[in-house]
Amino acid sequence: MRTFIVWMAGCLVVTLMVPVAMAQGWNMPVGVTDVSREVHSLHMTIFWICVVIGVVVFGVMFYSLFRFRRSRGAESANFHEHTTVEVIWTAIPLLILIGMAVPATATLSKMYDPSDADLDVMITGQQWRWRYEYLGEDVAFTSSLATSREQIRGAEARDENYLLEVDEPLVLPVDRKVRFLLTSDDVIHAWWVPELAVKQDTIPGFVNENWVRINEPGIYRGQCAELCGRDHGFMPVVVHAMEEEEFDAWLVERKEAAAQEAMGVDREWEMDELMERGEGVYGNICASCHQPEGQGSPPAFPALAGNQQLIEDVEWHLDKVINGVSGAAMPAFRNTLNPVEIAAVVTWTRNAWGNDTGELVQPAEVAERLAD
Amino acid sequence: MWNVVKSVLAAFFGVQKEDRRREDFEQGRAGAFIAVGILMALVLVLLVALVATLVAR
Repeated sequence: MRTFIVWMAGCLVVTLMVPVAMAQGWNMPVGVTDVSREVHSLHMTIFWICVVIGVVVFGVMFYSLFRFRRSRGAESANFHEHTTVEVIWTAIPLLILIGMAVPATATLSKMYDPSDADLDVMITGQQWRWRYEYLGEDVAFTSSLATSREQIRGAEARDENYLLEVDEPLVLPVDRKVRFLLTSDDVIHAWWVPELAVKQDTIPGFVNENWVRINEPGIYRGQCAELCGRDHGFMPVVVHAMEEEEFDAWLVERKEAAAQEAMGVDREWEMDELMERGEGVYGNICASCHQPEGQGSPPAFPALAGNQQLIEDVEWHLDKVINGVSGAAMPAFRNTLNPVEIAAVVTWTRNAWGNDTGELVQPAEVAERLAD
Repeated sequence: MWNVVKSVLAAFFGVQKEDRRREDFEQGRAGAFIAVGILMALVLVLLVALVATLVAR
C-alpha cells in the first residue's frame, strides 16, 4: 500500500505541473470571441480527461510493475479471456469518446456557420503577404511584413513583436459578425490568428469560409500556418479590432483615399512623386525576392539592378509586372496593385541603383494597359 | 439467425466469448455472417446519418 501511495503522489506532482506550464503561456489562448472561448474550454476539458486517463493507466501500470516484480517472487497469471473485463474496457473508452464528441460537434457546427454576416472580407494569400478586400466597400490593400531587415539580420535588437508586425493590419469592428472568404493566388497558405481561434487554409482556385465576432478591441497577431515557400515565416497576420464607430470612420476614410487614388490615375505625375511612391511599393512588395538593392537572388529571382532587358524595354518590363511570368515565381500584379502603384514601382526600378533610364511611366498608361 | 446477429454485434463491439466463437466456426455458414455483417454495417451508417441530421437541425 505504501508504494501505491508513493506512486500516486508522484502522479499528482506531475499533474500539478500543468498549471505551471499554463502560466508560462505554453497553453492555447482563451481568445476574444465566443467561439474561441468555447474552443479553449473544450481543449481544457479534453486535456483533463486525458490527464486523468494517463494518471490512472500509468499509475496502475507502474504500481503493478513495481509491486509484482519477479525479485519478490511474483508469478504471472495465466488466464486467456475474461469477457466482463473486456466489455468494461471497451465500453468505458466508447462512452468517453461519445462524451467528448457531443460538445465538440456542437462547437464545430457553430464554427462552420458563416451565415448572416455584417461584413465580408476576402483574404488572399500570396507569396509572401496577405491581401484584404472589404467586399462591396471598394477598399482593398496588401499587408506585408514590417519588421526591419536589420532586425532580421541581427544587426539591430529584436523587438517584442519581431516578425509579427505588418505595414497595414486588417481592421475589423468588434461586436459584428465578419465573414472571411479565404483563397490564394499561388500556393496553399493558412491564415491563423490564435486569439480569434481561426486557422484556415487558403487554397488556390478554392474559397474557404470562416467567421469571427470579436468581443474586445485590440491588436491580435498571427502567422501563416502552412509551409508556403522561402518567406513562409515572414508573412504575419495582424488584426486591429476597433469599436464600431471607430471602424466606420476608418472605412469611410479608406474609401475616400481609394477614390482619390482612382482620380490620381488621370493626372500627370512628376518624377519625384512617382519615385517616392515607387520606393515604398518596392520595399513592401518586390524587395523580398528581388532584394532591397535590386540585386535579386538568381536564378529564381533575377537581378533588376543593371538588368539590360529591363533597362532597354519598358513594354517588356510593364508586361512582367502586370501579367507575371508563367512558370516562374513572379506573380501577376494586375489585381494586387493599382495603376498608380504599378507606374510608381516601374518608374522606381527603371531609375534606382544605377538603372538611370530617366524614363517615367504615367499611371494613365498603366490603366490603359490594364483595360486591354 | 438470432445467434448470427448476436455474433456480428459482438464483432462490431470487438469482444466475443471464446465458446461462442468456436461454436460459430463449427456450425455457422460464412455466407450468413457476411450478409448480416453487410446489412448491419448499412444500418450503422443510416443510424449515424440519422443522428447527424437530428443534431444539425
